[in-house]
Amino acid sequence: MRTLPDRVCAGAVAAVAVAAFAATYSFDDVPPGLAQGLGAAEFPRLVCLVLLGLAALLALGPALRQPPPRVPATGWWTMALSVGFLPLMMLVGMLPAMLIVLIAMGWLWGERRRGLLLGSAVGLVAGIWVVFVWLFKLSLPLGWLGERYFS
Amino acid sequence: MDAFLAGMATLTDPFILAMILAGTVLGIIVGALPGISGSTTIALLLPLTIGVSPIAALAFMGSVYCAANFGGSITAILVNAPGDPSASATAIEGYKLAERGQAGLALGMSAVASAIGGIFSVVALIFCAPLLARAAYSFGPPEYFALAVFGLSMCAAIGGDGRVKNLIAATFGVLLATVGIDLTSGVERYSFGIMELSDGINFVPVLIGFFAVAEMLDQSTRRAEEPKLIAMDAAKLPTRADFRKCNRAIWLGSIIGTFIGALPALGATTAALVGYNETQRWSKHKHEFGHGSLEGVAGPEAANNAAVGGSMVPTLALGIPGSATTAIILAGLIVQGVRPGPHLFNEQPVLLYAVFASMLAANLLYLVLGMGMAKLFARISLIPPTVLWPAVFVLSVIGAYGPNQSMGDVVIMLVAGGVGFLFRRHGFSPAPLIMGLVLGGMLEEALKQSMIIFDQNPLGFAHRPIALLLLAITLSGLLGPVLLRMLRMAWLRKEAV
Repeated sequence: MRTLPDRVCAGAVAAVAVAAFAATYSFDDVPPGLAQGLGAAEFPRLVCLVLLGLAALLALGPALRQPPPRVPATGWWTMALSVGFLPLMMLVGMLPAMLIVLIAMGWLWGERRRGLLLGSAVGLVAGIWVVFVWLFKLSLPLGWLGERYFS
Repeated sequence: MDAFLAGMATLTDPFILAMILAGTVLGIIVGALPGISGSTTIALLLPLTIGVSPIAALAFMGSVYCAANFGGSITAILVNAPGDPSASATAIEGYKLAERGQAGLALGMSAVASAIGGIFSVVALIFCAPLLARAAYSFGPPEYFALAVFGLSMCAAIGGDGRVKNLIAATFGVLLATVGIDLTSGVERYSFGIMELSDGINFVPVLIGFFAVAEMLDQSTRRAEEPKLIAMDAAKLPTRADFRKCNRAIWLGSIIGTFIGALPALGATTAALVGYNETQRWSKHKHEFGHGSLEGVAGPEAANNAAVGGSMVPTLALGIPGSATTAIILAGLIVQGVRPGPHLFNEQPVLLYAVFASMLAANLLYLVLGMGMAKLFARISLIPPTVLWPAVFVLSVIGAYGPNQSMGDVVIMLVAGGVGFLFRRHGFSPAPLIMGLVLGGMLEEALKQSMIIFDQNPLGFAHRPIALLLLAITLSGLLGPVLLRMLRMAWLRKEAV
């Protein structure tokens, strides 16, 4: 029996292709003076059709793999932490957010040596500051707190 | 000749030499770290190269690319954990040798074979790339379209779970390349009013997301085992007898690697696996394979390093990436305003020969560093993943933010990371998507120009022999295995009856 994941993948790919194909009808019209040969929508439509055909082949083809293993809690928390980095950065600024994420993610992954966690996090953030802020003169987001107290 | 000498003379520039040294050391380090490949590193460090000259950027990226393949063999031999996917074939025999107390010899042979393979392919690059570029001068848009289609079709053979999935990833990459303003009509496509998308999908955050963040998320779903390092005294230079024994394997690996590397999309990992199989096939000591064969280290190591120079041939001469890593290097060049292709040989020959020179230097440098510091580099694999992967995430953030100082790019990087993670979980390789993204623009432009040349008649391709040949090879490459399978099934059915 064909395993579910490949069918689900094929369905997802087909859905993306159909959505992208439909979206081409929302493109603005090409100005008449520039309307020569293939327009702005034809190539993406062609690509969507190829994608749709490949999705059909995937759905009809032999099953190649077992369903992927379940994502453990660490995986979900890592994803949450990655996404959560953005609001955290808007609040405290990029460098402090990096420091927090480095420590939190290391702890989440099972590192319990506090000295190593703190030392490596501080060292890396300091290295980033030296290379990007001091050397390349990059201005990093200060965040709401940083702008309030440091700018 | 003047350009060649001028290119070689760049090696006297202390800054270029420093970039090569930094790239080589970094390449060995990341190559030795399981999970972090050369492509991930180049994607992560791409933003750093934007601030320097194209020659320095290429010297750095080329050195990382050359050295990462060798670095992968260190942990493959000492820890049985290939630091780079291209070193997986080396682990088969290398770890067995290490268990027998011959780790130093295996590492020494790996360094020498890698350097010979690498230098052989760079010499091939120096001679073949200009010839290919000269031939490509007669190419018009139809030929480039056919070449890009051929390059994308070769993605079918890259890792992942299957040909169809690889082609889906490549097509998805082409679709992503259509995001932004259409240059011929000025019409915005798929930007949905988001300003960051109007200029198209930025290569850098997508590359970082797909390679670094997706790998980090993938690693978070696994419990990493504590690596155990096999003790060794020092890397030993192979004796004359060892060389005599491995001579054939090294040259076979070098030729196979250069050839496979030069084929679009196929890179060092494929070269190493084919190199290992062919070394075994032609060996006079077949019985040693599987029990710790020195030839089994020499063949794949020469092959995977030879693939580096080989894959630069189509990348520089045609603008068609020879592997996932060269696709990233190509993206880096485009970001720098350099468009690789045959015209480069006329317009910027010094740049090209400087690249060749820096790759030669990197090959010699990692031979010296590999022999002298292999023991130290092997310790890198002991960095706890609990420190390493959070650091990769933070470097990804700064890497995506840096070039344009745009938070939109960080968001794109995170989205690409999430999509890349889903890709990996469901057996899609990220490499074809990157190839599609890099080649998508050229594909569309070439098709549009071709259709104008052919007066909107697609049958016009039939009157262009090179384009027709390339399209025929593409079709036969895609349909051939399917037809063969159908024939085999029909034959089996007939036999059963």
